[in-house]
Amino acid sequence: MFFQQLINGLMLGSTYSLIAIGYTLVLGLLQMINLAHGDVFMIGAFLGLTFAYLGIPLYLSLILAMVGAGIMGILVERFCFRPLKKAHFLGPLVSTIAFGILLQNVGTQIWGSEPSRYPQTTEIAQFHLGPVVVSSIQIIILITSLALMVGLDQFIRRTRMGRAMRATSEGQVNASLLGVAPDRVISFTFFSSGALAGVAGVLTALVYLQITPFIGIRQGLIGIVAMVIGGLGKVRGAMIAGLLVGIIEVMNDAYFTAGYRDMIIFGIFFIFIVFKPEGLFGAVKKET
Amino acid sequence: MSVYIEGVLALMGINILLALSVYAILMTDQCSVGNAGFMAIGAYTSAYLTVKMGLPLLPALVIGAALASLIGLLIGIPALRLKGLYLVIATLGFGEMVRTFFLNFEPTGGASGFRGPMGTTLFLIYAWVVGFIIVFWLLDRSRLGRSFDAVRDDPEVASTMGLDVIWHKVWAFGFGAFIAGIAGGLYAHYMFYIESGNFSFLLSTMILLYVLLGGMQTFWGAVVGAVIFSTLPEVLRFIHEWRLSFYGAVLVAMMIFRPSGIITRQMVRDLGERFDKLFQTART
Amino acid sequence: MLTIQNVSKNFGGLKALQDVNIHLEPNKIYGLIGPNGAGKTTLFNLITALLPVSGGAIQFLGKELTKLGPHEISRLGIARTFQNIRLFPSMTVLENVLVAQNIHTQSGVGSIFKVQRSDKKFLEEAEALLNQMGLWPKRKEKSTILAYGEQRRLEIARALALDPKLLLLDEPAAGMNEAETEELLERIQEIRNIGKTVFLIEHDMSVVMGICDYISVLNFGKLIAQGTPGEIQTNEAVIEAYLGREEG
Repeated sequence: MFFQQLINGLMLGSTYSLIAIGYTLVLGLLQMINLAHGDVFMIGAFLGLTFAYLGIPLYLSLILAMVGAGIMGILVERFCFRPLKKAHFLGPLVSTIAFGILLQNVGTQIWGSEPSRYPQTTEIAQFHLGPVVVSSIQIIILITSLALMVGLDQFIRRTRMGRAMRATSEGQVNASLLGVAPDRVISFTFFSSGALAGVAGVLTALVYLQITPFIGIRQGLIGIVAMVIGGLGKVRGAMIAGLLVGIIEVMNDAYFTAGYRDMIIFGIFFIFIVFKPEGLFGAVKKET
Repeated sequence: MSVYIEGVLALMGINILLALSVYAILMTDQCSVGNAGFMAIGAYTSAYLTVKMGLPLLPALVIGAALASLIGLLIGIPALRLKGLYLVIATLGFGEMVRTFFLNFEPTGGASGFRGPMGTTLFLIYAWVVGFIIVFWLLDRSRLGRSFDAVRDDPEVASTMGLDVIWHKVWAFGFGAFIAGIAGGLYAHYMFYIESGNFSFLLSTMILLYVLLGGMQTFWGAVVGAVIFSTLPEVLRFIHEWRLSFYGAVLVAMMIFRPSGIITRQMVRDLGERFDKLFQTART
Repeated sequence: MLTIQNVSKNFGGLKALQDVNIHLEPNKIYGLIGPNGAGKTTLFNLITALLPVSGGAIQFLGKELTKLGPHEISRLGIARTFQNIRLFPSMTVLENVLVAQNIHTQSGVGSIFKVQRSDKKFLEEAEALLNQMGLWPKRKEKSTILAYGEQRRLEIARALALDPKLLLLDEPAAGMNEAETEELLERIQEIRNIGKTVFLIEHDMSVVMGICDYISVLNFGKLIAQGTPGEIQTNEAVIEAYLGREEG
C-alpha cells in the first residue's frame, strides 16, 4: 500500500515539478514571479483535451500543447514583462495576475465553467510490479515528466542557450558575452516555462479526467509552494520539491484526512518562506 | 433606497476598507496579497462571537479585528525581514493557510460555512469607512505620516535618522490587518453566511488591484480604486461575461502607461493647495 | 568621543578594512582620505551600523556601537550624509528636514492626534537651517528637482536637523564648483564652532587640508597614516599611495 501511494505521489508530484520548474526559470532570470503560469498550465490542459476530442494521438497532442502553451508564455513576457522593465516590481506581478484572469475568462467563454471531461482514448493497461499496480497512463506521465526534466537539466548544462540562461540568472554576466542576445534568452525562457506548464496541463488532465478553467489557480499555487521548498531559483530543487509535495499530498489523503491536505501544504510553505526562504537547496538574500 | 443599490453600496464600503488595509501595508513599501486572510479571521471570529456567544456586534467586530491584527503582528515580525517579492510570497502563503484552516475548522462550520451573523447596516459600514479615512487623513499630516514616508522612500536612510524601520513596518502591517479584520466582520454580518471560499487569493489580488489602479501613492487612491471597481460591474453590464478580461486588459495598460495609478501624490498635493487657497480667500 | 578600535570588515574573502584605529576628540574637524576603494565609506557604514563589523569595537560617548541598530546610534547623536546623495524623493525640501526632526519628538501613534504646537518651533528651526543653506525659498519644491549642489546642501541641512554631536559627511564637496566649495567650508567650520564634531571623507585636497584639524589616511583597508595636514602632506606612505593620481 505504501509503495502504491509512493508511486501515485511521484506521478502527481512530477506534474508539480514541471510547473515549479517553469516558475523557477522565470524567477531565476528576472527575479519575478509569473502569476499567469498556472493559467498557462490550464490552457495546456484544455488544448490537450481539445486535441484528444479531435482524435489526435497522445504524443502529438503533448507536443502541440507544449508549443501552444509555450507561445502563451511568450505572450505573457511580451505584455507583462517587456513593457514594464523599469517599473516597480509590482507592475509585472500585477500584470501577470491580470493576464491570468484574462486567460481564465477566455477559457470560461470557450469551454464553459462546468467541468469538461477528458475523452477515454488510450487503452489503459495495468501492470503489476510486486504489490504495486501501475497503469499505462501513470507510466506515460512519469516517463514524460522525467524525460522533460532530464532533458531540461542537460540542456541548461550543455548548450549555449542553456548556459546563457544560467549565466543571466545566476549573476551579472551579460548573456551576449556567451553569444546569445539577452532578449532571446528571455523569450526562450518564457517559452520553455510555458511549454513545461502545457505538458503538465495535459498530463494532469489525464490524471483527473475532468478539468475546469480554474484548475490553474490551485495547481499554480502548489507550483509556487514546490518552488519555494526546493529553493528559489534552483531548477533541480524545484524538481525534487515537486515530487516531495506530490508524495506529501497523496500520503496525506491516504493516511490522514483529505480535507487538511492544502492546509498542511500551505502551512509548510509558509514556514519555509518565513524561516527557511532558501528552501532545501538554494540561497536567497534577506534584508539585513 | 432599493435593496439592489443598498447591496452595491454596502459591498463598495467593504471594498474601500479592504483597499485601505492593503494601502496601510503599502505605506511602508510592503506588498501583501494575503489580506483576505486577515479579513477571514475578522469575519469568522466576530461571527462566532455574535452567533455562538451572543456578543453585541460592535465589540465582536473589534475583537475579531484585534485578533487579526495580533496575528498580523506575529507573522509580521519574522516575515518582515524578507525582501519585497519574498514578502509577497509569504503573504500569499499566509492567506492560503488561513483559508484552508477555516475550510477545516469545524467550530465555525468547516466546509459547510458559517450561517447566521447579521446586523451590519449601511450606516455602520460607512461609519467605519469615514472613521478610517479620517485616521489616514490625520496620519498624512502628522509626524508619524512623514516617518512612514521616509521608511517607504529609503529605509536605510530612515534608520540613520532615528526611525526604527522594523517598528514602522510591523505597525503598518498590524494596522492593515486590523482594517481588514473590520471589513471581514462587517462582511460576515451583512451576508448572513460566509465560507472559506469567500476569502481566496483571488480576492486578495483584486484588493491589490483596487489600490494599484486607484493610485498607491496616497490613501485616496485606494478609496477611488475601490469605488471604481465596485461600480464598474454595474456600468459594464453589457460586457458582463468579459468583465474580468476587461479588468485584466485595463490593468495591464495601466501598468504600462500610468503605473502610479489614477490618483497621484502630486494631484492630492495640488488639490490640497487649491483648497487651502480657497479657504484663505473665503476668510478674507 | 568616538573610538574606533581594531575594527575590521570582511566581505567574504575580501578584506575591506583591517585593524583600523581612530580616535576622535570633540569639537574638531577630522578628515578621512585615501584612494578610491580604500574602505572609507565602509567605515562610515560600520560606525552607523548599516553594516556589521567583522571584528573590533566602536565606542561613542561610552556606548558600544557595534551592539546597536542604526536608529539607536542616530539617537545617540551621530548623523551622516551619503556619497551618492540620498534624499527622500517623495518629499519636498522642507519635509526632508522636518522628518529628521521627528527624532526629537514623540512621533508614535498618539502623535497623529496631538495639536501640533511644538511643530511651530520645529518649523522655525527648519527655516533657520534651510536659510543657512540658502534653500528656504525652495522649501516646497520636490527634493529631486534641486540642482546637484543644492541637493548636497539639503542633505547636510537634514543631517543637522538631527542635532547630532558627531556629523559624518561623505564627500560633501563632490561635484561642487569653487564658490560652492568655499561656502561649504564655511558651513562646516560653523558647525564645528557651535560645538559639534565633524568627520569627513573627501577627495578634494583643498577642502581636507584647508579645514581639517587631523587626518586619517586609509589605503586598501589599512590605516597608513594619521596626523595634522602638515604631517600628512609630507608623509612618504601617503604620497606613495596617491602616486600617479592627480587630485583636483
